[in-house]
Amino acid sequence: MLTAFVNAFKTPDLRKKLLFTLFIIALFRVGSVLPTPGVDAAAVRRCLDPVLQGGSGNSIYGMLNLFSGGALLQLSVFALTIMPYITASIIIQLLTVVIPRLEALKKEGHAGTQKITQYTRYLTIGLAILQSTTIVALARSGQMFQGCNETIIPNDGILTLATMVLTMTAGTGVIMWFGELITDRGVGNGMSVLIFVSIAAAFPTSLEAIRRQQGWGTFIIVLAIGLVIMAAVIYVEQAQRRIPVQYAKRMLGRRAYGGSSTYIPLKVNQAGVIPVIFASSLLYLPVLAAQFNQNAGWAQWINANIARGSHPVYMIGFFLLIVAFTYFYVGITFNPTEVADNMKKHGGFIPGIRAGKPTEDYLHYVLSRITAPGSLYLGLVSLIPLIALVLINANQNFPFGGTSILIVVGVGLDTVKQIESQLQQRHYEGFLR
Amino acid sequence: MTETRGSTATPERARPARKGEAGGPLARASLFYRQVVAELRKVIWPTREQLTTYWLVVLVFVLVVIAIVSLLDLGIGWAMFKVFG
Repeated sequence: MLTAFVNAFKTPDLRKKLLFTLFIIALFRVGSVLPTPGVDAAAVRRCLDPVLQGGSGNSIYGMLNLFSGGALLQLSVFALTIMPYITASIIIQLLTVVIPRLEALKKEGHAGTQKITQYTRYLTIGLAILQSTTIVALARSGQMFQGCNETIIPNDGILTLATMVLTMTAGTGVIMWFGELITDRGVGNGMSVLIFVSIAAAFPTSLEAIRRQQGWGTFIIVLAIGLVIMAAVIYVEQAQRRIPVQYAKRMLGRRAYGGSSTYIPLKVNQAGVIPVIFASSLLYLPVLAAQFNQNAGWAQWINANIARGSHPVYMIGFFLLIVAFTYFYVGITFNPTEVADNMKKHGGFIPGIRAGKPTEDYLHYVLSRITAPGSLYLGLVSLIPLIALVLINANQNFPFGGTSILIVVGVGLDTVKQIESQLQQRHYEGFLR
Repeated sequence: MTETRGSTATPERARPARKGEAGGPLARASLFYRQVVAELRKVIWPTREQLTTYWLVVLVFVLVVIAIVSLLDLGIGWAMFKVFG
């Protein structure tokens, strides 16, 4: 297995991709620590220390801070991380179903997809302006760190504040670009890799906080829960429903083609970790909105119910959103009509089922049945650690919840598999046999 | 291939075709449940060996990434502390 890691670095183009990804990750981390102009970095550090010492004792920010890997509370250049981009892509993908023009664009193929990506980028910038304004306003009014009387922004003229908003928005644009660069020229899906890195950056701190507050016993239990969940996640992610496909033999000139039998692998969880990322970033929006107007009734309700991961309302909402997003995401990524058409074109068929419409119906039937347990699994796995952590009274360390484990394991598995398939193209023996 | 009531026709047509078998939401739910179970039986689950290798590989990968990111953060944090106090 270790030789595979060595091989990965021996292969020139794979080495280039890995190093490129690492380089982008390093830049991403630098930006996550670099303070935004106008912020008194020393004051932020003094305010931040008690928050970090107490794990994520300040529960509202524990969750906000989860995906930013600490960047948000440090008011860094990359304080918003990829959140606006994720939110924008959810909105655009939801709108694709509703607005006929977007749907037409999507069906147009490559050119249309590029246009949709362009719309997503514009929306991202819009959302980034909104969110950075919120954060700057919070920091100025001193609500960012409750119980800390430092002046975080010493000179709060309108020009300074505008510069801060501009910097954070630009930071979001850069992160978006980073993500696309990783997808194009690096390893793995850029958006997921960057979230993965942010969560990984927060792991040691939150684990250390658990150990300090709860002692070694709880620490070991938490680790054990994490490892068991990891095994469960891998078990389900690897499960496939294989639909047999038979290809007819064809004579082209004097040679015979086809005649082979393969299968279409339908994963039990065809959607991957994207639904979890979508659901948690959607639940993060009302919390952010509530910061604008903390004394209103609805804002207090949100702060009491949704801002904490251990509250039943949050759990139920999270679960339902994950199930819905799983179906939604499978619906947009796997198109039975297209698969059936392709099969027909190349002379393939599923034994016992006629080509064309019946094949499409059958694929749809299997997919919708197999996604039901898949979506329940995603929802449950992201809840079990939450419940378990509440039982052993470590619930204030929400960042170490099911969501982060799912994302870390899911992205890790995808990335390792991608490296693996690139190794196999070079006839090296991979990690996985 | 698929579990339906009575006939072997495709699932979409089978239900409304037969009189008196449309059923209430409860019956439909139980049919859906049985179909789900039938599909799950055809799923190929990973073997114990596969599971262990994947588990180990992912664990090593995640630990390596965490180590790299932690080192980066330590270095960058130290530099920031020097520059901004």
